[in-house]
Amino acid sequence: MRRRPGIGGLQTAAAARDQYRLLGENVAKLRTDLMKEQLSTFRSQLEDFARKHKNDIRKNPAFRSQFHEMCAKVGVDPLASNKGFWAELLGIGDFYYELGVQIVDICLATRAHNGGLIKLEELCKILCQRRKGAREAVSEDDCLRAISKLKVLGSGFEVISVGKRKLVRSVPTELNKDHNEILEMAQAQGFVTVEEVERRLSWSSGRAIDALETLLDEGLAMIDDGHRDGRRRYWFPCVSSISSYVGAETI
Amino acid sequence: MQKLGEFKLPHFFNYPPYFTLQPVRDTREKQIQLWKELILDYCRTQKLFVIELEKDFPLFTNPTIERSLTHEAKDAFLSALVSDGRAEWMDKSHRKCLILWHRIQDWAELVLRYVRENGLEDSVMTVEEIRLGTESRGTELHGMDRTILMRALKLLEHKGKLAIFKGTSTDDEGVKFSLQ
Repeated sequence: MRRRPGIGGLQTAAAARDQYRLLGENVAKLRTDLMKEQLSTFRSQLEDFARKHKNDIRKNPAFRSQFHEMCAKVGVDPLASNKGFWAELLGIGDFYYELGVQIVDICLATRAHNGGLIKLEELCKILCQRRKGAREAVSEDDCLRAISKLKVLGSGFEVISVGKRKLVRSVPTELNKDHNEILEMAQAQGFVTVEEVERRLSWSSGRAIDALETLLDEGLAMIDDGHRDGRRRYWFPCVSSISSYVGAETI
Repeated sequence: MQKLGEFKLPHFFNYPPYFTLQPVRDTREKQIQLWKELILDYCRTQKLFVIELEKDFPLFTNPTIERSLTHEAKDAFLSALVSDGRAEWMDKSHRKCLILWHRIQDWAELVLRYVRENGLEDSVMTVEEIRLGTESRGTELHGMDRTILMRALKLLEHKGKLAIFKGTSTDDEGVKFSLQ
């Protein structure tokens, strides 16, 4: 005999659904708890690690850079806030803010010479000279990190790559592809001539002169008419070390 | 670092474009500033008082990088010193320039100090004695330029610290201090 649907059957089905739901919730809760536990273990391990290697992190630039890499992989940014655990434990936030301020200082002091473009190497070198008294050594990686923190100020601090070199830009000049190519060329000797630019890049003379004039106006280039061959040279203080030496003396 | 005798040259001296007057205003201002400091520094340490533009001047040529300042550039740097009150053209055609690494009033101060230190407050001296006498040996006054010294003395005369008079027996001028 076929059973007709009745209230009993419906109730049984509803009860079963409830059971399943409860079970599911339990499983999910268990999993989250486990996850939370793992995370907190991980965090405390990371903290232990940081505490244990505090001095290495503060003093050894290579170690510091590896520590940053590790933090980035697990989604922790020790620089995200100056307050809180990381800053208190490592004082790492202050360190980078201090670097940031000094970097701004150096960029301003050398701007008259290099037009607001400076080699990362040079910047780092001057920074180290200025910080001679401080205990911690500073690497190029630290400079890059400090500069990336300056971006929030919207002040136009930026790291650009020209050829193999990294340059730090502190003026809002837009360098286009032509300018970049000229700067890259200038890295070889420190200067270029109109003829060289035309020949090596196969540009029309108008294009070369135009790009060079812009670089001149921006204060990134200086002319030199003193060579025996009578050809005007365009020098780029930002790609030769001399620029920052000049600046470093006035700091 | 490159040296001129005992004088340490700044790094920019080896960077060729600093020997060409820059066309862009900001860059040129910085260039002029660096040259002004260098010229004053050099003249102070070498005790030079006059720069003649048409004669060789070691600071205006760098044989290492084969660069020399053009006449126009020299004129621009010295004129900038003139407008700062740290130099004076000695002729209208800008051929000779008097370099005042001490301003006239600073030279006058040095004269006063010299007078006090040597107890000459109310004595009489000739101008040449001040410049070349034994008392001034070892001080900055020794061997100083006569034109500048006369200017400093005239300033002091104006302030009533001394009187300048024409000597009777010699061509030299005399100075009567009256500091008390």
